[in-house]
Amino acid sequence: MTTVVQVPLRYRVPFKKIALYVLAVAFGLYLVLPFYWIVAMSFMHEADAIAVPPSWVPVHPTLENYLGFVNPDAAQELVGGRAVSETPYSLRNSLVVATATALLNLVLATFAAYSFSRLKFRGSQVLLLLYLLTRMVPGIAIIIPFYLLMRSFGLLDTYLALILSYTTFALPITIWILKDFFRSVPRELEEAARVDRCGWFRTMWSVFLPVAAPGLVAAAVFAFMTAWNEFMFALFLTSTTAAKTIPVVAANFATDFNTQFTVMAAAGVLAVVPPLVLALLFQRKLVQGMAAGSVKG
Amino acid sequence: MSVLTERRPLGDNAKAWALNAPAIVVISLLVAYPIGYSFYVSMQRNNLKRPRAKRFIGLDNYKALLSDDAFLSALKVSALFVLVVLGMTVVLALLLALVLNERFRGRGLLLSLALLPWAMPGVVNGLMWRTIFDAKTGALNGLLTQLGLIDSYQAWLTSGTGAFLFTALAQVWNTLPFSVIILLAGLSTIPSELYDAATVDRAGAFRRFTQVTIPWLLHPLLIVLILETMNAFRAFDTIYVLTGGGPGDATTTIALLDVQTVLTFTDFGLGSAYAWVITAITLLISVGYIGLLYRKGNFEV
Repeated sequence: MTTVVQVPLRYRVPFKKIALYVLAVAFGLYLVLPFYWIVAMSFMHEADAIAVPPSWVPVHPTLENYLGFVNPDAAQELVGGRAVSETPYSLRNSLVVATATALLNLVLATFAAYSFSRLKFRGSQVLLLLYLLTRMVPGIAIIIPFYLLMRSFGLLDTYLALILSYTTFALPITIWILKDFFRSVPRELEEAARVDRCGWFRTMWSVFLPVAAPGLVAAAVFAFMTAWNEFMFALFLTSTTAAKTIPVVAANFATDFNTQFTVMAAAGVLAVVPPLVLALLFQRKLVQGMAAGSVKG
Repeated sequence: MSVLTERRPLGDNAKAWALNAPAIVVISLLVAYPIGYSFYVSMQRNNLKRPRAKRFIGLDNYKALLSDDAFLSALKVSALFVLVVLGMTVVLALLLALVLNERFRGRGLLLSLALLPWAMPGVVNGLMWRTIFDAKTGALNGLLTQLGLIDSYQAWLTSGTGAFLFTALAQVWNTLPFSVIILLAGLSTIPSELYDAATVDRAGAFRRFTQVTIPWLLHPLLIVLILETMNAFRAFDTIYVLTGGGPGDATTTIALLDVQTVLTFTDFGLGSAYAWVITAITLLISVGYIGLLYRKGNFEV
């Protein structure tokens, strides 16, 4: 027996739709306005940026805040000159460290993830659990011995110290992402290659990895962002422009009382552009990875 | 049983461990060894500025914690910080995830915007909110004045309570996307038949939410609670830049105190003891997390 529900044919105010759009707009503003403000400020003259009441758009747009980073002489005249002149070096350092971390991490994680996705082996559950557990260890708990270790190797203030530490941060996450991704690659491909008498390395290199490329890219992006954003280890392990990364220099802006807000904003924007562009480019893969691994922080 | 089928699992074993060897070497060298060594350092009197006084003192650093006002205060600040950040994050993230789970024009854009805070380095997050909260020229003061909500510019970060709350707000903005993504993934797995059935049973929107959505989201919600607790408990970057722990010690969390102890006072022994307390608390939380994953079967290899 079915009962037919009578739907009255009068117009109903779509409360749900209205509430949805109000909430969506409110959240949109909440998410974007703070960031909009530092972008806008980075194109303003200091006088406009600190005006009361504030001018919400750059009325007299200028590039001087950014040009100060390129031209060290001009930087000397800007207040907060030291952090300003260190900014280009720190961007270079961040780029090198994050790229190297992404690559090293990819190699190590690919080997490990392959074993979890293709081989049945004793201890695999325990090993996976241990990987996850190292992700839970707070960085602060290992920073002191790590610092002493690097000091005794003479590796303080070098890229290598940062690359090694960031690789260990990112490794558990990327193993996790790749393990899930590799499982979705059909086994038949490798079996076909084996029938064609390809060796294991040949099979991996010319059959398996190309198919798994999207997952590899996602994992590399994850590792790159981890390394780019990290602050505490960089604060301990670096001291000069030889290895200082952009978060360390950006923090210097905050501790210098004379810094102009507009210059600080420009440095902040430069520091956020690479991870932001990557996040937007690889949005879907990253969201999948985050949801699957539930791993960050 | 042929020889071949009997030998194969053994070959797999060896191959798998060989494949994992590089990762294991790196991780044990750079995580396992340091964490063990850090426990050893925590039982030393070890201050870089007084190298002659360095010696083994057993658990004295830990005993000293019980009457260490800075430590107890930082522990209290951290606990409060976790509570406030967690409360705001869960409510906001759930609401935003529910919005993103609907179909509407502009959904894709909102999802991209939701990733924006996640991509932002914690240090930049701190810088950004510092300019916004500024007492003399900040955008928050400007906005609230123009809206007529306040008469004159306020110094948001000069009172202890104010600094604490605004630091928590800045932290929430930064970590919100992560929770949203996990909750959204959970929401998208709810079969629409469940809602249809509830509608047929004449359940209103509120009852559908409490009796279908929430029970189904229980697991993702627990994961969010655990991981965000851990994040908030270790929060460092944003606070370091935004308030530096001040005014006084109002925003000096345990992680901040630890870094100050080591970097400023070069007291490696005491700093390691702090670190081990943080580790112990974090490990307790992660045991709960891993237990959850096990139960749900996420751990099947």
